[in-house]
Amino acid sequence: MNSTRAKGMNMDLFFLSLVLILLGGTLAPIFNRRFTLMKLIAVITLCAGCLLGLVDAGSKLIHGGSYRYAFAYLNALSLEFQIDALSAFFLTTIFFICFCSLIYSFHYLNNAEKAFRISVNYMLFSLLMISMALVVAAGNIIAFLVSWEIMSLSSFFLVIYNYASSENRQAGRLYFIFSHVGAMFILSAFAIIYQHTGKFGFIDAASLSHGAKLLVFIFSFIGFGSKAGVFPLHIWLPHAHPAAPSHISAVMSGVMIKTGIYGIFRMYAILELHTPVFGSIVLSAGIVSGILGVVYALGQHDLKRLLAYHSVENIGIILMGMGIGMLGVSSGKPVMAVLGFAGSLLHVLNHSIFKSLLFMGAGMVLQKTGTSSIDVLGGLLKKMRITGTTFLIGSLAIAGLPPFNGFISEFIIYLGAFKGVVLTGMTFVLSLLGIVGLAVIGGLALACFTKVTGVVFQGEPRSRAAENADEKGVAMLVPMVILAGACVMIGVYPEPFILMAIRGIDSLNLGYAVIPLEGFVAITGSLTRAVTAFFAVVLGIFALRVFLYRDKITTRSSTWGCGFTRPTAKMQYTGSSYAASILSFFKPVAPLSEHHPRIKGIFPEETHYFSHVHDIAERYMKNLTVIPVMALFDKLRWIQYGDIHLYIGYILLAIIVLLFFI
Amino acid sequence: MTPIIIFIPAILSAPFFPAIILKVKAFFGGKKGPPLLIQYYTLAKLFKKGSVYSTSTTYIFKLGPMVSLSAALTALMFLPISGAAPLFSFKGDVLFVLYLLGLGRFFTIAAALDTASPFEGMGAAREAYFPIICEATTFMIFILFYRLTGELTLASFFYGNHPLELWRVAGAPLAFVVTAFFIVLLTENARVPVDDPATHLELTMIHEVMVLDHSGPDFGFIEMGSFCKLFFYAAIVSRLVFPFDLGHPAMNLAAFSLIMLLIYAAVGVIESVMARYRMDRVPKFVLTSFALAFVATIITLEFVK
Amino acid sequence: MTHLVDIILSFVLLSIIFSFGSSRLQGLIKALAFQGVVVSIVPFFIGHDITEGGVLFSLTTLLIRGIAIPFYIYRFIEKVAAHRELEPIIGYNGSIFTGLLLIVAAMAVSRKFSVPSASTSLLLLPTAISLLVGGMFLLMARRKAITMILGYITMENGIYLVGTTFSVRAHHIVEFGILLDVLAGVMIMAVILQNIKLKMQSGGEDTSLNIISKE
Repeated sequence: MNSTRAKGMNMDLFFLSLVLILLGGTLAPIFNRRFTLMKLIAVITLCAGCLLGLVDAGSKLIHGGSYRYAFAYLNALSLEFQIDALSAFFLTTIFFICFCSLIYSFHYLNNAEKAFRISVNYMLFSLLMISMALVVAAGNIIAFLVSWEIMSLSSFFLVIYNYASSENRQAGRLYFIFSHVGAMFILSAFAIIYQHTGKFGFIDAASLSHGAKLLVFIFSFIGFGSKAGVFPLHIWLPHAHPAAPSHISAVMSGVMIKTGIYGIFRMYAILELHTPVFGSIVLSAGIVSGILGVVYALGQHDLKRLLAYHSVENIGIILMGMGIGMLGVSSGKPVMAVLGFAGSLLHVLNHSIFKSLLFMGAGMVLQKTGTSSIDVLGGLLKKMRITGTTFLIGSLAIAGLPPFNGFISEFIIYLGAFKGVVLTGMTFVLSLLGIVGLAVIGGLALACFTKVTGVVFQGEPRSRAAENADEKGVAMLVPMVILAGACVMIGVYPEPFILMAIRGIDSLNLGYAVIPLEGFVAITGSLTRAVTAFFAVVLGIFALRVFLYRDKITTRSSTWGCGFTRPTAKMQYTGSSYAASILSFFKPVAPLSEHHPRIKGIFPEETHYFSHVHDIAERYMKNLTVIPVMALFDKLRWIQYGDIHLYIGYILLAIIVLLFFI
Repeated sequence: MTPIIIFIPAILSAPFFPAIILKVKAFFGGKKGPPLLIQYYTLAKLFKKGSVYSTSTTYIFKLGPMVSLSAALTALMFLPISGAAPLFSFKGDVLFVLYLLGLGRFFTIAAALDTASPFEGMGAAREAYFPIICEATTFMIFILFYRLTGELTLASFFYGNHPLELWRVAGAPLAFVVTAFFIVLLTENARVPVDDPATHLELTMIHEVMVLDHSGPDFGFIEMGSFCKLFFYAAIVSRLVFPFDLGHPAMNLAAFSLIMLLIYAAVGVIESVMARYRMDRVPKFVLTSFALAFVATIITLEFVK
Repeated sequence: MTHLVDIILSFVLLSIIFSFGSSRLQGLIKALAFQGVVVSIVPFFIGHDITEGGVLFSLTTLLIRGIAIPFYIYRFIEKVAAHRELEPIIGYNGSIFTGLLLIVAAMAVSRKFSVPSASTSLLLLPTAISLLVGGMFLLMARRKAITMILGYITMENGIYLVGTTFSVRAHHIVEFGILLDVLAGVMIMAVILQNIKLKMQSGGEDTSLNIISKE
């Protein structure tokens, strides 16, 4: 193995962290007989690796510059890695979230009977971390594809952790198909590049012809989009995320799907084609994913499924920012471009923080109550104070409300979109739709998360399981508190994070002049001041409240039932009814089917109600692709006769045919 | 110092104006109506009382009134009341203010769901639904304003004679905008024809049913918060209706107060002559505001181009 | 805003949206009457044909289009007691969005034409196109015969406005002829519908009533 080093020790630190992670992963199965020890060793080693990687990526991001590293294996397979500020940004996110999720896993994976399975889970988790890090650090096509494939496979096995349930196996299968069809599209995009340049390097792609670039971009957008969960390629997400264990869902939804975003960023940068077509595609896809994602989320009954749909929504917001950035580049507006891209990148970080926080909260609920069905929970905030509070913070953040981090990135994307509104033509129309779309998404997300916090954590418990919940497990609470703290910190003091995102963008060299940062610093400064003003007002009101309540009698009593004296928990508004009226507005895109027997007679029998919101992507994809393809394969069944002699004959035939071609 | 001089009286006067609505309604009903200072009496009474909390509630229930009032107060700090300079202003404060009001709404809804009451859940669901369309309308309006001014602060739209500039460039379509904003005002502040604050049946309420369980100073905060919110929207409408800068702050303030009285009276008249819409008709009504704002934007752009 | 006619026409655009979102037939007829009035008086504002004959024709158009036809349909609706369109093929919210899209599209399309009137009024052609297509949309998206008639008249208003934009001299004669045809058509349709309704009622068959009205 040869290695060439461009800059100092830093690259080695990166690989050292990966080696440490790999070590942690391999040690886990070895110690699988001693359950707690195994977990301790795995978590400590893996966390150490993550911390090391975090420190390394952070320093690279701060110092800037680009670090290259190359291996050549048998002179045929050359693996190149390169870490620039964009990679460093993603690496920071990956290591941070994985770190939190590892700590969480210590108490989350608590079934000693499944010790071996858990140890394998740690091994696969370590592989997933390594491959994600390598994907964003890949410097050429081969390195990228190899890491991508490891990432897809390791996450596939993590999804089917609970392989005993057929539902989970099915979810795994769906994910497998999607990630591989996506990989095929990426492969074809890369194949086009290779065909034109004859090299595996990314940098050479700039020399492609205009048409080829368009094709490459569209292929890679489909490929990366299927990983990221862009509508209509998102349909694996709501199946896979609930199936995976919660700490894995947190990592998958928080960072793994972002590698798709990274891929789109990278492809855009290496193609160096600043046509408005790319921006239009990305922005439109973003608007559609954003709105439909949150509409479907609103209709879900399963907490983790709901969160999975919110990933679709947030990927939409990220793409909207990216599209606005691209349109800014193509119309020669550097400020708009930087605002769009920086907002998009910052939202990658923000979403990874609040989404993993929410998944961890959901995991806690799932572990303690045994269910993640929203409508049988309730009142959990009283038993799970820390989980409930951090979940509330996560909800506020994901709804994009100040003073939390989700607001900051949406704010920046808004500013970018408003810059686009003064332009003309398609840029104007799409920017306008982007702004209105973002506003609608914000309102819907608010509705959705008031539903979740309101029905799951507030009110009265709707079942015995919800009544008896607790929140034991310090290792699960600590990362949630850390992440909630991060939500508040970025929300109140966004300056370093925005600058970090801008630095990540700068490394793409998108062909516009470097613009001064003062303007952005001024924006963040005024946001901080505004939030401070708000806090001051809240404090003032709080002081007033304390003053008004001094030596007053406050009593506790049951909720006023508007005259009804025997309320039960079952009479509460459910999540389904809460969402019903909003969903009816979106009926054309979110058809609702309801099942309930008619109520008959004076003394009707016990009845039930069940509703299901159909995902039109799922419905049409089944009708338009799966069924025709199945029909086609059905017709080709005669080839597969089940006779071994025939198969050997096929092989022979293939060899002979190939001989003619060589 | 002027901003503070205007801001403090503005907040203090916020509970005064809703009494105008009551007076107008009483006039239409052939009654004498409550005294003009009724809301101050109500607040004073509420602040003197203690509270009863439901056993179902958590700290969110107590946080709700505080946050919603703080959000409304902070929002007012960014607004050029009567055309005078606001307390704060920064690039993009429009977005901050709108989302801050969203935060207030989140906590109002959360506090309602905290009580486990089916009625409050029903109100909460409506409160979550209708403002979504309002937000789209408001953003549509601000897109138009941004297009006209190139700025994204409330001050640049409503300070001094800036609204006059908007009228000059946009012309008649701005009347659509005013109408659209008035519809937003009615929806966001739970007035007829979207919500009837005076109805007696909890099933048909939106805002009132959400705050059923609040009592004492907490309820006072909620009332104060909704007065401030109504004041916020009415102040914007008044700047659009009366876009002139009379040159002297006192005269501006006098004119502003007069216009505010008229706007609240208009709300009162609407409440007296109209019935509340059936709940499933409300979205269409709110959507009309979006259509108005949209058409105004499209038409104006055709001319500004 | 340069021209008074644009202000009036922007209200016509709104009335289209309104008619798309209105479930009450009375509201729809009011929108229609308003469109009729505006469409008839627009020629005064854009400056051509201020001759005696022109004025006379315009006033007659106003009478028929703005007053007679709407009034006639209004009275007919009162008689057969049809007040609402209950089950539109395309829902009201969807229709409103379609209306918005339609206006944008009309704006975009009308830029491609160079018509003489564009110098005086920018909104003339977009409004004409919106009326035309909007009428067709109503024909397509509503189930009841009454609403379809209203859609047809909306469309006719649009055609008249298109005629105005081209500022051809003496187009009034042709327009007037068409108008009388429309008037006759409306009356015949009204009579037929009324008879159908009476037949249905006397026959006691309720099922096919909803072509006219079903409460």
